Amino acid sequence: MIAGTQVIAQVTEPVRRRFGLTVAVAAVLFLTLALLAPGLLADTLDTEIDRLKADVADLSQTLYELEEDVLYPADTQVAVFLTLKDREGLELDTVELYLDDMPVASHLYTERERTSLKRGGVQRLYLGNLPHGAHQLRAVLTARSANERFVRREVTHDFRKRPGESRIQMTLDARAPDFEPVVSFQEWK
Amino acid sequence: MVRRLRLVTCNAFILVALACMPTHGHAASNAGEELIGGLAKFALDSGDPAAALRYTHNLPTEEGQLVRARAMIATGSGDRARGLLEQLVAGQYYRGQAALLLADLATGRGEPEIAGNYLETAAELSHGDVRQQALYRLAEIRREAGETDGAGQLLASMEPGYWSALGYMNIAAEYGKRDLNPSRALVALRVALAMTEEDSDSRRREELKSRLLVRAGHLAHKHEDYDKAIRFLEKVPLESYSTPQGLYLHGLALSANGNHRAAMQSWHRARKYPLAYPGVANAWLGTGRGYDLSGYLGQAGEAYLAANASFESERVTLRKLADQIRNKGAYQALVRDARDSNAEWFLADSRTLTQPRTAYLLRFMEKPGAQEAVRRVAELEEIDYQFAQREVGLDVFRRAIRERLGSANASPAHIAGFNDEIEALTARVAALKERAVSVPGQEALRGAAHTLADLKASLGKLEQRLAARDRHLNELLSRTDEALERVRRVRSRAARLQVEAEKTLDEMALAFVEDQDERMTFALERSEQQIAHLYEYLALQNIERGDQ
Repeated sequence: MIAGTQVIAQVTEPVRRRFGLTVAVAAVLFLTLALLAPGLLADTLDTEIDRLKADVADLSQTLYELEEDVLYPADTQVAVFLTLKDREGLELDTVELYLDDMPVASHLYTERERTSLKRGGVQRLYLGNLPHGAHQLRAVLTARSANERFVRREVTHDFRKRPGESRIQMTLDARAPDFEPVVSFQEWK
Repeated sequence: MVRRLRLVTCNAFILVALACMPTHGHAASNAGEELIGGLAKFALDSGDPAAALRYTHNLPTEEGQLVRARAMIATGSGDRARGLLEQLVAGQYYRGQAALLLADLATGRGEPEIAGNYLETAAELSHGDVRQQALYRLAEIRREAGETDGAGQLLASMEPGYWSALGYMNIAAEYGKRDLNPSRALVALRVALAMTEEDSDSRRREELKSRLLVRAGHLAHKHEDYDKAIRFLEKVPLESYSTPQGLYLHGLALSANGNHRAAMQSWHRARKYPLAYPGVANAWLGTGRGYDLSGYLGQAGEAYLAANASFESERVTLRKLADQIRNKGAYQALVRDARDSNAEWFLADSRTLTQPRTAYLLRFMEKPGAQEAVRRVAELEEIDYQFAQREVGLDVFRRAIRERLGSANASPAHIAGFNDEIEALTARVAALKERAVSVPGQEALRGAAHTLADLKASLGKLEQRLAARDRHLNELLSRTDEALERVRRVRSRAARLQVEAEKTLDEMALAFVEDQDERMTFALERSEQQIAHLYEYLALQNIERGDQ
């Protein structure tokens, strides 16, 4: 009977030891996971957000193409762009655009947008449709010139809408010493 | 060979894309590229990386490729950007900028050695801000590795400006931790102050200058050089995040110099700021201490009681904030509510520092982890907002296309009618041309003739276009349906991720509020202790007086 008990004790000892080891390993693993979990969770979330953002960019491309096909057929499409020629002469505040005396676009500039225009960025101010024939584009600009003056300028440009996409580039210039704003128009076909 | 093929493809696209301006030749093609490149740049800078990707799809210029790589990184496709950036590093014009972006990507992947190599490339190949940023980051790597001398040597090779000032500020912190004598750290801070003067960004310059002055003042005060501390702290501007802490330290230095009256004036000014800012709670306690040291025990007691009430009230505010975070979520309670205050926009700057909610938001956002958590929620919310609008737009398209599909085509007789009308008008214009003699009149008639010719050409194509109308509309309808389905899928994914991101943010915000509550509890205990000491002292004095 005693011998039998000793055998059981001999058998259960390694089992007990192994069980203890398993528990210890599990505890270490649990603790490691508990410590790393928030970081891992954030990493996974960031990866998933990155994947979503890539899909969003791809879908934006599809939607843009679809919108162009549905809303702006090439034959009647007109786009107006704004660029700065002298990049230090003016701090642009607002731009308002009128096509045939109808207000079609207005924009209030942020610091980031101003900086971008100064760095050579081109803003698409308007995209729309016009019938063939003669039209008038009017732009009203307000800005602060480099010599600390607040300026407001109104300029008009007559143009003829022909078949195909029409692009009108509006270039703003203000040169030293008087920093008088000058707007020029260039048509692309 | 691959590159040649790519160039051929790119050129082909440019030819097709700019087919509408064939007469301008090569110069026009370059101008077209410049226009598209400019559009991409503006789109990226104004927060629309998807549009920047669209514009740069086939733009062969190096500048276009750099914008594309940056847009890819912004849209979560860093791995795709890497290939482009490696080409740019081997290119001509944007080697430094590309290397710096590659260093960022390597840091994000947890590869510091590769990041270091790219930073060295960026420092070697670029100039201006990019080179300064690369050198600063290389100096930071050395500083973090304990090589302060190496970091200092690198900083010495930099041009004065924001990045070198930041580098010297960090090295001063390192010296402050290591040295018993503050002179090396103070010299580094003085150099940082001189460097920051050359920063062209005025807001950034002022903010950094405030931080540097507060650090220098704190360091000087810690080493009991109170006059020096006062000189630094007097220069802290009143409109910065560091101002309350600067005012508290200024008071502390004045008090140590024995000038309790002036010290209390500084603390009184610090008390105007919300308790969330560092130094404000201490300024409340300091006022009581100042009265105490000046011998005005009654006022000291009142000041401590006022501090006590203020801390109690702040704890109530914090409890309410915690409840709001639990009920509405941290993004609504901290970010949106702080943003949607009723104050007028032109007061936005001056109110920023005095609104308790904004103060807690600013304090919370000090931690990079909090910034990341808020950025995640903001990005996901923006995606949902944009695509909700797109969904409405697509739904309208679908209905409009369906209505067009149901409508009847213009009959050949109708088209022939238009043709006759154009013919008649053309004949009238020709007849008028013979009669009109003035130049503007001739000009106007020439324009009208052009328009009529354009209309005739369009009408000529109309029958052909009408024949293909239904097929074209059906194709648009199926594309719209497919896009609508994708938009809904993206919105549902964004909503699911937003829930997760908000949960993480809520946990961080609640932990932050709990920390703040503990800070207030500690301040409250200190004010109670001071009151107890004061009453004990007064009681003992009364007893003494009674004994006499």
